[in-house]
Amino acid sequence: MNETIEKRSMGLKASRTLSNTIIYIILIVMSVIWLFPFICIVLQSFRIESTWNVNYVVPKQWGWDNYKALWTSDFKTWYLNTFIIALIVAVIQTVIVLCMSYTLSRFRFKLRNGLMRFMLILGMFPGMLTMIILYRVLKDLGMTQSNAVPGLILVYIASSGMGYYVSKGFFDTIPKSLDEAARVDGATRAQVLNKIILPLAKPIVIYTILTAFMGPWGDFVFARYVSFGTSSGMNVAVGMWNWLTPDMINQRYTMFCAGGVIVAIPVAILFMCLQKYYVEGVTGGAVKG
Amino acid sequence: MKKVLAMILALVMIFALAACGQQAASAPAASNDAPASSGGSDAPAASSDKPLAGTYDITVWCPDAEVELRKAMIDEFNKTNEDGIVFNATVQNVGEGDAATQMITDVEAGADLYNFASDQFARLVQANALAKLGTKAAEVVKEGNSAAAVDAVTIGGEMYAYPLTDNGFFMYYDKSVISEDAVGSMDKIIEACEAAQKYLAFDVGNGWYLSAYFFGAGCVSKWSTDADGHWNVNDDFNSDKGLIAMKGLNKIQASPFHLSSSSAAEFDKGAAVVVTGLWDAGTAKEILGDNLGAAPLPSFTVDGTDYALKPFMGYKFIGVKTQTDAVKAAALHKLAQYLTSEEAQLKRFEAVTWAPVNLNAAASDAVKANPVIAADMLQQQNCTAQGQVNDGWWTLAAALGATAKETDDVDTYKAALQTYVDGLEKLKSLREGLLFVGAWNGWNNADEADTYILTGDGDVKSLTFEVPQSDYMGGRIVNIGSWENGMGAAQVKTGADLIQAPDPDSNPDNNIVFLAPGTYTVSIDTASGEISIVAG
Amino acid sequence: MKRYSDLEFLKLSKGQKFTYKLVSFFASIPRAIGRFFLGIWNFIKKLGTTIGGEFADIYTTFKNGDWKTRSSFLVMGLGSIARGQVLRGLLFLLFEAVFIFYMITTGGYWISMLPSLGKVGPHEEYNEILDSYTTVYGDNSFKILLYGVLTIFFIAAFIYTWRLNVKQNKIAQEYEKAGRKLKSGADDLRSLVDEQFYKTLLALPLLGILIFTVMPIVFMILVAFTNYDGTHDGFNNALFSWAGWANFKTMLSWEGGGNVYSATFGEVLTWTLIWAFFATFTNYFLGMFVAMMINKKGIRLKKAWRTILVLTIAIPQFISLLYVSKMFAKNGIINGLLLNWGWIDQAIDFWGSTAHNALLPRVMVIVINIWIGIPYLMLIATGILMNIPADLYESSRIDGANAWQQYTKITLPYMLFITGPYLLTSFTSNMNNFNVIFLLTGGNPINAAASSAAGSVGYTDLLITWLFKITTGAGAQYYMASVIGILVFVVVAVISLVVYNVLPSIKNEEDFQ
Repeated sequence: MNETIEKRSMGLKASRTLSNTIIYIILIVMSVIWLFPFICIVLQSFRIESTWNVNYVVPKQWGWDNYKALWTSDFKTWYLNTFIIALIVAVIQTVIVLCMSYTLSRFRFKLRNGLMRFMLILGMFPGMLTMIILYRVLKDLGMTQSNAVPGLILVYIASSGMGYYVSKGFFDTIPKSLDEAARVDGATRAQVLNKIILPLAKPIVIYTILTAFMGPWGDFVFARYVSFGTSSGMNVAVGMWNWLTPDMINQRYTMFCAGGVIVAIPVAILFMCLQKYYVEGVTGGAVKG
Repeated sequence: MKKVLAMILALVMIFALAACGQQAASAPAASNDAPASSGGSDAPAASSDKPLAGTYDITVWCPDAEVELRKAMIDEFNKTNEDGIVFNATVQNVGEGDAATQMITDVEAGADLYNFASDQFARLVQANALAKLGTKAAEVVKEGNSAAAVDAVTIGGEMYAYPLTDNGFFMYYDKSVISEDAVGSMDKIIEACEAAQKYLAFDVGNGWYLSAYFFGAGCVSKWSTDADGHWNVNDDFNSDKGLIAMKGLNKIQASPFHLSSSSAAEFDKGAAVVVTGLWDAGTAKEILGDNLGAAPLPSFTVDGTDYALKPFMGYKFIGVKTQTDAVKAAALHKLAQYLTSEEAQLKRFEAVTWAPVNLNAAASDAVKANPVIAADMLQQQNCTAQGQVNDGWWTLAAALGATAKETDDVDTYKAALQTYVDGLEKLKSLREGLLFVGAWNGWNNADEADTYILTGDGDVKSLTFEVPQSDYMGGRIVNIGSWENGMGAAQVKTGADLIQAPDPDSNPDNNIVFLAPGTYTVSIDTASGEISIVAG
Repeated sequence: MKRYSDLEFLKLSKGQKFTYKLVSFFASIPRAIGRFFLGIWNFIKKLGTTIGGEFADIYTTFKNGDWKTRSSFLVMGLGSIARGQVLRGLLFLLFEAVFIFYMITTGGYWISMLPSLGKVGPHEEYNEILDSYTTVYGDNSFKILLYGVLTIFFIAAFIYTWRLNVKQNKIAQEYEKAGRKLKSGADDLRSLVDEQFYKTLLALPLLGILIFTVMPIVFMILVAFTNYDGTHDGFNNALFSWAGWANFKTMLSWEGGGNVYSATFGEVLTWTLIWAFFATFTNYFLGMFVAMMINKKGIRLKKAWRTILVLTIAIPQFISLLYVSKMFAKNGIINGLLLNWGWIDQAIDFWGSTAHNALLPRVMVIVINIWIGIPYLMLIATGILMNIPADLYESSRIDGANAWQQYTKITLPYMLFITGPYLLTSFTSNMNNFNVIFLLTGGNPINAAASSAAGSVGYTDLLITWLFKITTGAGAQYYMASVIGILVFVVVAVISLVVYNVLPSIKNEEDFQ
């Protein structure tokens, strides 16, 4: 009797070892595939024997030339622009999203359902086309071309109320009895939000800040439209995109790689540090829809 | 209750936005006034001998390679010009290929002076993004440039830009792989490449490059644009000559060492031949060094006959944006003339190796001594002027190259060429223009024969045609390719007695229904939208 | 079709239930359409009675009003000020002053120009002395449309505020009669952080959405009914004007045989749906699979694996995708390595730039999208899988279920149930996944058969990238882009509607929690 159990468990153990080995192999292969492009981009950023796209990975001559070239180009301006945008947007967008989602989660007012349905419908329109009109509005406000930075900030934060779903889902999970208890004790709604809800909502606050901060680094289409033809108003995505156009790629390709590294490092580090909160946000958002 | 607070907030914001519009409303009125100065001019001197004197803030777009040179040239202009013009210029890096797209985004905010490639010319003129050259400026351009170059900056008899350099392609090769006697023949080049296991880069997946085969085989694709910006094309790719080109395209792509690319960086990745233009001279020189050779495109051989490849040749231009201030416009034209003058073109040749197009500059010894430029100049003697090719054409042409790669079957080629012609007809059907569609021409709103197109100079377009006896003698004027019904019976002002009265119920399409068969002349004033009909 | 009772329905197998729901959804469409129109009729009726009621109320308010109330009909806020509610009254008064000032100075102009979208176009003038041409500008159609729309918004807001003002006076008058104390300005402000707190919180976000989302969408819809394009830009070259339904006819009609837009639209829509389907479900199942592998008992370095995978989320897509697109170029690193290793003897044309090959690039974008998308799903699935009660697996193992059975009977249903809504949103957002397509292929290789439709459509173009190409392309046919934008909305809305009606977990979401 004991023997058979042992045999069965040994059999199980063997098959588990086998399946684990297969899993390890798959995971290692995946890791290689996932890391390969990033390793390539880092290696190429140190290549100095030529500036164009080549078909080998390891540079023949190493050096910091590409990074130095970045320093003397307009890259600094673009980087600073993007950083300022990302920072301001992260703060204001978080406030707006939290206001919006908290309200829609906690208050029951006459137009609540209508409002949510209306925003759902709005979200079904492709935003691409509205950039023409947004450009004109910004132009009339004097916020295009060399003044594109405040213009972009304005547009990013103005429409951020639409992205309330994820954090509303999170607020829904905080029991309402907490609010009610505090209200009985005489706290105003504003105090309830500040003293009780926000401390509990730390993960979702960090998630919102993180996604809001990362967004502006990748915006290419609208930023290009708003800053058109003016280097001092561009963000990194627009400026570096131009480096890959046919008439510049042979001179700027390795600089693109170096710029990519400079852009990716801080964003990626920030992301890795706050990964835990990101996971909570994404999971919560997916479950609540 | 306190909706009010929120409301006020919202409305103040909307009001702020709306208030901005106010300035715009009054802007037209302001620009009607004497255009004395603008762009922060320092009160231009009123003296009549120097009417252009003053300081002007301008934006200039030019490609990356030329930015520093352009800044230096404008400084030079400021110092040397005799009109007392001082430009305070912001020079931005915007490539020639991108200039039109960027300009059309917002002409008002675009650069005052910019470089662009000739394929975008018609588009920019249509968008009213180029200021016409005055009579004197036009004379200067005519004197300094070849007839082909002058032709290329002319639309409907008016000139709109200054030729800067040519924009064509030829062949760069690695002298250590391709010998002098192989340079003239595509077959020998392919042989040499295969023997040396080196690549031959010729982007025959791209209409601009692959059309060299068709023109080489003797085909024509002549593009023209009239004063209204309507284009036309005379094209015979779908012919026996076209089949020769297809066979040639198949031959090169059948080689395992053919590469569809047009980047001189290919030399670094095992290419021995790259077909590209002057913009790649620097990269090619850097990689090949003394082994760099340059020559016009070779001949290709089909069924024992040689055909010299004959590429498209375009130009790069400097254009002045449309201005509201005549003084500033005149000053900008002076600058554009300076930047495309003989001396400036030579300077540019020295600094960035761009081929001069000014006749004197091109004839200079320094230019002739440069092997790359020499190849470019030789190629210019055997090329096809590009004209204002419609954007849709590139796609159609690219498909031909792809078909030639897939198969060597002649029937497939014939089918592909037929598809090409059909596509061209479709493109024509989408042109701008007014067309009379009616029961007697089969309601064809894509009239390929152009027989029902309303023509005429100025605002009034007219057409004379015959209405046969039939059950329904109705029709209306539409924009080519559309079915809009805003130009029909309801708009008829003269000759209303010849047609049925407009009636939205029985005639919802607003058709002009003639009461009797016969010959009619229909004309429309496009400014007022009024239609008049005359019998006989 | 046969209708099942609730009990019968519960007895059906999963597949049957799904089929039943799907069939009954489509069977109910005629009735739903009927209901829709009935709903509209009821709405109109209700609207009629509401408006009638409002007018009656306004009338009685005026009839029964004292001088304070009546004067407020003309000068907003006067009544409030007279009754001591100074703050409230001043705000009303200020608003009215602003409105009247605006309408006299500019608003009237915009409204009057709206039907024509401008009368005087630009023209050219020649200055002989200076030998230069200049353009004299006329009206600006774009601004007329934009500010015309804004002015209509503004007028609506004014009417609403005026009605509010009348209502306030009525209430205040009643309070006065009953001898109750009216709220002071301080009371009003206090309520904004307490029972009216939601208004404070929503004011700014909604204002932003109104101006930067709603207004542009309204404008975009209107553009579809004009001839606004690169050659009629409304100011610089020519005015644009209203075109009615002509653009929709061009896009959708097959009339005239050779119409290119309808065929191209059908082709691009088909690929958009295929792409969205594969992009959603490959990521979904592979992501789940990876999550299960990493979470499996006995696998070490869980955190490290996850960290490596999420790199594709952490690094901005314009870097990673642009770089990957260059890696797979015909002369890129991938081909270089494969050639060097001797695995292939001719470079593979992954992006089909030369060959007339639509399949390979299409597969490539889906595969690379997996690289980008798996990590998200892995994170989501990890969170959800951990919530599945372990005893479910335990008891199933005792019943003799193998791993596959556990997966199909427990894991998958659980995942699908919870992530149903997520699948829907990810499907619709994939339909509009601009980044992946634009950065990888730019929509290429070009589709020669569709080339005469605006914007040179490619085989990997989605509707959204086509729309972008048209907007920035040669003719800049903004009106066509608008038509496509509206059609995208219709497609997304229809899909959402169908799925919402068929998907089990959405209606039951509340119960589940």
